[in-house]
Amino acid sequence: MNLALGRAGVTLGLAAAVLGVITVGYGLLRKRPDLVRLSRWYAALVFLGGFVAACAMESALITRDFTVKYVAENGSTKTPALYNFATMWGALEGSIILWALILGGYLVAVVLKFRKRLADPLVGWAVLTMLIVCVFFFGLMAGPANPFTGFSPPAGFDGPGPNPLLQNNLLMAFHPPMLYLGYVGFTVPFAFAIAALITGRVGEGWLLATRRWTLIAWGFLTVGIILGSWWSYEVLGWGGYWAWDPVENASLLPWLTGTAYLHSVLVQERRGMLRVWNISLLCATFALTILGTWITRSGVLESVHAFTTSSIGIALISFFALIVFSTVGLIGWRGDRLRSPGRIDSPLSREGAFLANNVLFAAFAFVILLGTLFPLAVEALNNDRVSVGVPYFNRMTMPIGLTLLFLMAIAPVLPWRKASAELLRHRLIWPAWIGVGSMVFSVVVGARGFIPVLAFGLGGFAAGSAGRQIALATRRQGWRGFVGRANGGMVVHLGVIIIAMAFAASSSYVRQAEFTLTPGQSAEFAGHTLVYEGQNRKQESAKIVDQVLIRIDGTGPWAPSLNKFANGNQTIGTPSVRSTFKDDVALSVIDIRDGENGSVTIRVTVQPLIIWLWIGGGVMAFGTLLAVFPGRRRNPLDAVSAPLAMEPPKEPTGVTP
Amino acid sequence: MSSLIAKGFPLRRWGPWIALFVVAVGVLSIATFGTLSAPTAQDRVSTISNSVKCPVCSGESVAASNAPASQEIRRQIAEQVQQGQTDEEIRSFYAAKYGQGILLTPSASGVNALVWILPIVAFAIGIAALAIVFRRWSTMPAERATDEDRELVDSALRAEADDSDIDNDPHGEGASR
Repeated sequence: MNLALGRAGVTLGLAAAVLGVITVGYGLLRKRPDLVRLSRWYAALVFLGGFVAACAMESALITRDFTVKYVAENGSTKTPALYNFATMWGALEGSIILWALILGGYLVAVVLKFRKRLADPLVGWAVLTMLIVCVFFFGLMAGPANPFTGFSPPAGFDGPGPNPLLQNNLLMAFHPPMLYLGYVGFTVPFAFAIAALITGRVGEGWLLATRRWTLIAWGFLTVGIILGSWWSYEVLGWGGYWAWDPVENASLLPWLTGTAYLHSVLVQERRGMLRVWNISLLCATFALTILGTWITRSGVLESVHAFTTSSIGIALISFFALIVFSTVGLIGWRGDRLRSPGRIDSPLSREGAFLANNVLFAAFAFVILLGTLFPLAVEALNNDRVSVGVPYFNRMTMPIGLTLLFLMAIAPVLPWRKASAELLRHRLIWPAWIGVGSMVFSVVVGARGFIPVLAFGLGGFAAGSAGRQIALATRRQGWRGFVGRANGGMVVHLGVIIIAMAFAASSSYVRQAEFTLTPGQSAEFAGHTLVYEGQNRKQESAKIVDQVLIRIDGTGPWAPSLNKFANGNQTIGTPSVRSTFKDDVALSVIDIRDGENGSVTIRVTVQPLIIWLWIGGGVMAFGTLLAVFPGRRRNPLDAVSAPLAMEPPKEPTGVTP
Repeated sequence: MSSLIAKGFPLRRWGPWIALFVVAVGVLSIATFGTLSAPTAQDRVSTISNSVKCPVCSGESVAASNAPASQEIRRQIAEQVQQGQTDEEIRSFYAAKYGQGILLTPSASGVNALVWILPIVAFAIGIAALAIVFRRWSTMPAERATDEDRELVDSALRAEADDSDIDNDPHGEGASR
């Protein structure tokens, strides 16, 4: 039943997408607006297909319908209901359903938002592009990643349940949907960019039409990445939250190019410049979401040789190649129209700062991409094994991060066109003192080391700048000084700064140790006292939980545990974290030795300011909401740029009129 | 110095910045050269085990992994630190035992050097490209509006006044809907 329903959903979605591409494409080429307007029905059907497929899968997972192979492989009667629900995105095939569902949702949203302009070729081509993307993802489900493969379970069959790591924390229910809302959301601006190239309307119209879509997608991606990092901190138990592993890098790459785009697009809106660059950034962002999926889903990272066995890998990389070649081709074809007049007068200006921002973000993305793919390239080249890991990424991205913080301090106070040293001297003095103040504060409370203290200083400087902008805006406009893109953007900056400082502090001053303790024994570490009180065994439906009870500085007991899952003989640990605003003490159990008078080995990780990572993430999300909220309409006569020198430069005679 | 003051060196205006610079340099030098407690044996073990890859997992460091092989290597590293070996000696011991792929920091020789050099090259190219476009912009004559341009703008404004519900915000920030 679920199987048939799911297959029907996939077939419906695929058929609607294919027919939609044919109809809308024919209508656009033959100038038949009546056909182009039909796109709304195809969009609705595509979404319906995705929705039916998702419902069928959820119903199969919740009722433990093992005739669906995906459920037989990833579901279990013992798994709690919530994790059964979240199992839809716990493995490859199900996560493609989620992707298709969200894509269908965005498609319907676009068709609704632009309902009055559906016959406009720009919107028509954008919808067509989205339909093509739908064909690809529904095609994946119909072919190489079919989630509705049948299975005939023997009597009394029970599945193994999802990967134990994926049924250990509530965040599993939120992180993947958020991430996918971000990933898939970039399809919308990408589709409009392609439409702009095809119709030749490469001016600013399409940018204005999609800027809020881009911002929303970016906001979801931000939240998704931070929830993922939180999940990894709460579940994996190695004490860290960011391992620069390929999955994390794959999510960070589109975030970096998307962030670069959100900044450089302002230059195009204001000055009509950087058209090629902006379109390239947007297409790169979308292409990187596909490349990231390929990196993480094709098995290519295990070995390049696994590549040939996975047909979904081939499908994804071909789609990536198609995107890259068609966008490069289109940009080349429209080269003449994309050339824009105008110039940037001075590097010391708002637009100059945005350019610097773009160089830095591009460099950041390049380092991550290179580090992620380098082992593959070397293995393909001379069959050597190399690893590129945390030390490499930390060392290479640190200078970029510091420069970005510095830029974040300078850029908000810069006017368009041109700034003078005098103006910077005046506007930056207070932010700079806040920066110095935070350095002094950090040194007084005991921070040492050139890099972290410099990071605190630059963070304070940047926060001062953002605070100054917000203060000025609220003085002028009251509460409306918080909303709108520029002001919301400053709130996002504050969130980024909080995260950057927490990252600098936690990675510079992390202390980690292992202790083997017998009951009643205590240990001193990094200013904290740990007392091991004893053990506790809990029997749950899916697992046996062996807790180790530990008091930290007299609080608790905190109970890190080892979980033995009934299905499969994996034992995984669940850490326990005591968070305060000052620092986190994370405990995880390494080993419980039976028969040795209850002695246990635990790992203790003490890191300052961890909680501020999640707080910073919340501030970023809040800032994005404020930025999406419509701001005050600017009076077009208000001066926002430095005046243009209307007179020619001084004559050599020195006579001024 | 006196000549500087005579010329009106803007000490009054730049004074706060000079003071700020002095304080910043002072604080940073305390931070850099101040008493930093030497890393304990435990700290060294975790630094080293963070840079050695777990031999049986995919992509995790020995520090992050809880596989028995990693636990064993962590114990071994602790012993080696106890014996007084340097970080580099310990790392090369594992590189010799398992191959270069065991180190999470790629070596800076041979093909692997590319992973260190390419980002710097790319960044340099980016900066050079920026410098070139700025040079081109600075030598480009400023555009002047012709009567034809003005006419175009006027007609566009008239058209917009007629058709005011188009989501149009040519001025960018804040005027969004």
